[in-house]
Amino acid sequence: MKIFADSALSFIAERPDATERSRAWSIFETLGLPTTSDEVWRYAPLGDLDLDKFSIAPAPSNEADSVFARELRDRAGLVVRVVDGYFEGSDSLPEGVRVETAARVTSLSGETMLSRYESDTFAILNDALAPSTTIIRVDNDVHVALPIVVLNTTSSAASFSRTQIILGRGASATVVEYFEGGHNALVVPVSEYELGDNASLQLVTYQRLDASAWHVARTTGFLHRDARLHQAVIGMGAHYNRSRNDAELLGTGSHNELRTTFMGSNSQVHDLRTHQFHKAARTQSTLLSKGAVAGESRCVYTGLIEIEKGAKRTDARQTNHNLLLSPHAHADSVPNLDIRENDVMCAHASSVGPLDELQLWYLESRGVTRRDAQRLIIQGFFYEMLTTLPSDLAELVERDVTSTLELLKVDQ
Amino acid sequence: MSTLTIEGLRVEVAGKEVLKGFDLSMRSGEVHVIMGPNGSGKSTLAHALSGRPGYKVLDGSVKIDGEELLGLSPTERARHGLFLAMQHPMEVPGVRPIDLLIAAGADQHDLRQRMTLEAQRVELRTEVLDRFVNVDLSGGERKRAEMVQLAILRPKFAMLDEIDSGLDVDALGAVARRLSQATSEWDCGVLAITHFRRLLQELTPTTIHVMTDGRVVATGGPELADELERDGYEPFRPVNS
Repeated sequence: MKIFADSALSFIAERPDATERSRAWSIFETLGLPTTSDEVWRYAPLGDLDLDKFSIAPAPSNEADSVFARELRDRAGLVVRVVDGYFEGSDSLPEGVRVETAARVTSLSGETMLSRYESDTFAILNDALAPSTTIIRVDNDVHVALPIVVLNTTSSAASFSRTQIILGRGASATVVEYFEGGHNALVVPVSEYELGDNASLQLVTYQRLDASAWHVARTTGFLHRDARLHQAVIGMGAHYNRSRNDAELLGTGSHNELRTTFMGSNSQVHDLRTHQFHKAARTQSTLLSKGAVAGESRCVYTGLIEIEKGAKRTDARQTNHNLLLSPHAHADSVPNLDIRENDVMCAHASSVGPLDELQLWYLESRGVTRRDAQRLIIQGFFYEMLTTLPSDLAELVERDVTSTLELLKVDQ
Repeated sequence: MSTLTIEGLRVEVAGKEVLKGFDLSMRSGEVHVIMGPNGSGKSTLAHALSGRPGYKVLDGSVKIDGEELLGLSPTERARHGLFLAMQHPMEVPGVRPIDLLIAAGADQHDLRQRMTLEAQRVELRTEVLDRFVNVDLSGGERKRAEMVQLAILRPKFAMLDEIDSGLDVDALGAVARRLSQATSEWDCGVLAITHFRRLLQELTPTTIHVMTDGRVVATGGPELADELERDGYEPFRPVNS
């Protein structure tokens, strides 16, 4: 580990908060990269991860936006631009919205980042190496009409972005955290969201990185009383797509809905983790993960629902359906429950299988070709994932997902 | 004028020979009805003809206008003019009827309006056209919906697999009338499989075939249905089985 470490150390040395960053770096050095014997990383192809293929971008690169990014921008009320993890500014702010940047932040949980993420090597690296934190605040009772788009672009580098989105009491907003670029890159974003009492955040986490990228992402929502976090996670790109999406339901009546959509091709790995932590009464979490794996791609969904004693009348549901589009593709589903309260409703369901032969035959018997029958059924499988997207974005995302689906090779 | 010719068809399902040399020949505009007791192989015939997975053809021939269908994919069979209206049409979540029909090669001109019209002709609630194919539809609605597809795709020959089972009198009447009209509208040949006679009250058959044990054992005019009504299938059973 030379190239990576050298670039990291010289990056850290130039930061005003070098002391704190060095502390995180030394913890990383002590921990080292996780291995697959570590339960939470057991499905990751970590043996292939050579950090010395990456160096920290000393300054933001000059990457052009894709057509998709431009279309996304056109639909946004506010665009916040982050390049290689560097905050690059935003356009004029809607009333009641503030965008700030800070080198050092504490976790929205109230802990330091280091103690919050003490066992997560990649989040610790993020603490040491994220150039800045992009902080978006929506004031109390402000309803932001148009989507806020956080446009993350990455060059061929190791890039660590950090975002915090804070909605005041009664506020509502739609935010898209979008990632693109990342040819031969390591992309490690950490995002946190805090929703004040009765706040409502519609969040779309859209990962459209280059197929060569390593993507290790972590998001955490902190929900206060009656807050609603609706998060759609769409994972299209990256060679290794790790997406951990957690929520802490801290306030009575808070609700987290999480919908994860992904498509795997070639030798791609989608490694999805969730942890819904119910700490208050009458909280609700609804998780739905749907994916299709083609070629030799793999996916694993590992979800934990944790319900603390006293979180009475909690309702937690976890559903996971995977389509296997090739005999060499593989999908695992590992639901876990940790329930310390009796008065709760908990359910999980999962399925893994190929396209239904009888459905295919039914369509073929009308004169639909095999290829079109496959395409229709796959699109149908994902339909419900796209219908719940924010209306300003639904058509754009649907078009993008559909064109990706059409490229999936079905071997059945 | 088209012809459908089935000769010496032998089909195996789950290792058991179910069709044991089935013969039938019909022309456009005709209505043929296959009647037979449970287990006689009626549904196997319909499924084998449209290439359902798991149905293994051992021998025989199925031709439309002299062209052999048995080596073809289900798609190609359909595109040669064969349509199967199913006893239990599959639910296809997330797929709308109009998208199915477009993919099936339907003429897109005024398609939606024509679908609405066809739904009205079989008294199918037009909202169903905006839902997903067969999802949450009752048995009767599914069969009416099959008639909408049939009318848009206008096949040369329509096979109906027990389309009357589980249908109430109104639905049965609507389906039978639509089929009857199809025979004159585009000269559709109808091959209806049933073990009930009531379908024949609205859909006047040209020919009736009695099927037992994987073969046609008697062929005749509509009067054959009266005979079956009176005497049952017993007189038609092979002597030594």
